[in-house]
Amino acid sequence: MKRAFARMTNQRLTSAWIALPIALLLFSCGEASQDAGQEDQPAAAQQEMNEEGMMPARRQKAFKKIFHAVPSPIETALLLERSGIRFDAGALNAVDKATGYATTEAQAVNLGIYAGDLSYSVIFNQNQASVDYLNTCRRLCDGLGVGDIINADLIARADNNRDVRDSLVSIVTETFYALNGRFRENGMEEVSGLMAAGGWIEGVYLGTRGIDGSTADLQLRIAEQKMTLDNLMGLLDSYEPTEALDRMQAALEPVEAAFAGVKITENAAAATAAEDGTVVISGGPEVEFDDATLMAISKSVAAVRNQYAQ
Amino acid sequence: MTAIHQFSLAAFSLLMVLFSASDASAQCRTFTKKRCLPQLEDYVQNDNYNTAVLIPGDEAELELTFFGDRAYRLLVCGHPVLGDLTFQVLDSRGNGIYDSTDKESNHFDFRVANTQQMTVRVQVPTTDAVIEHEGCVSIMVGSKG
Repeated sequence: MKRAFARMTNQRLTSAWIALPIALLLFSCGEASQDAGQEDQPAAAQQEMNEEGMMPARRQKAFKKIFHAVPSPIETALLLERSGIRFDAGALNAVDKATGYATTEAQAVNLGIYAGDLSYSVIFNQNQASVDYLNTCRRLCDGLGVGDIINADLIARADNNRDVRDSLVSIVTETFYALNGRFRENGMEEVSGLMAAGGWIEGVYLGTRGIDGSTADLQLRIAEQKMTLDNLMGLLDSYEPTEALDRMQAALEPVEAAFAGVKITENAAAATAAEDGTVVISGGPEVEFDDATLMAISKSVAAVRNQYAQ
Repeated sequence: MTAIHQFSLAAFSLLMVLFSASDASAQCRTFTKKRCLPQLEDYVQNDNYNTAVLIPGDEAELELTFFGDRAYRLLVCGHPVLGDLTFQVLDSRGNGIYDSTDKESNHFDFRVANTQQMTVRVQVPTTDAVIEHEGCVSIMVGSKG
């Protein structure tokens, strides 16, 4: 009798062990809210999404997923090039400093900073520098546990295409897209956010070296970064707070203060068809700024960049 | 069953749960790479990862700055099981600029005269199906020129 009772108890316990995680899943899936990160709902143990990216729904309640995006370092580098800026090798973060970035926070921010330098080198056809910075990004990725994304094959592909800018642009954008995806998959949103911040900081830093004698177009492009800073702060805010993210947000406060000198007047935008059939979105905000504001932006961005890249 | 066996079984179940969630996310990355990325054609991809697993009735929103004098392709790419996704582009004041409803295309090509922040709003249609499916949805932005 005792043995039969023990066997029954064991069976119940076994069922409970199996049922518990599944029950936890079902309950946790039912209360999706309107916020970022909600797509990472746990899956029922027996179900797997097929290769085509679909499966029976694991929740019933609809939600709103909000994404915040910032321009990629390649986009920023393209803007700088079009604005007439000259390549300045001395402004880049030295590759040999990478070994000194020991913490996850330092590696993540500097991966973004080096991504900015890599993009800048690619866009300005600095072939050797491009390969060097890709190798440096690989070193930091190793430290962050995602070294397989920038592997030897990718480096060889970049080396073989070092004279073909469009190929290098594709390699860089695909690589950093894969990194962002992997960080999301691995629950490393903090790293993703810090990397995005590092990339943004380096882009504006490179754009503001010698800002006083620069073209009107470049000055406007820098002032417009007030909007992308707003996107970046939204991105950082959307993640679960961590000490490193808090520190980054605090470090960016003086930059926000400097950008407060840029006045943006919102106007309605409208889409119209041009003669060649292209849709053109015109209207939108008017951006006003003065030299003092640009100098303040330049100084504040240099301070935060050098704080992390030291 | 011993306590060790019970613990092992529970640990295995939990690992399966975590693996499956991570796997779904990885499948979305594969889906996006295979099915969506080629649709950007010659536009340079933005490296942000704006992909989520959505179900009928869900919405997604993307806030982004588009730079003046540059051409963009905005691509809303979802698994066919979710039906025809619709999307709108709104200016910084929330006014509608573009609506994909009743249009055949899953992308919107445009040029921006002045740099501006815009919001892209995506809807997954509701369904009467007995068994609902979830699928990957990716909002991709490419630029050129």
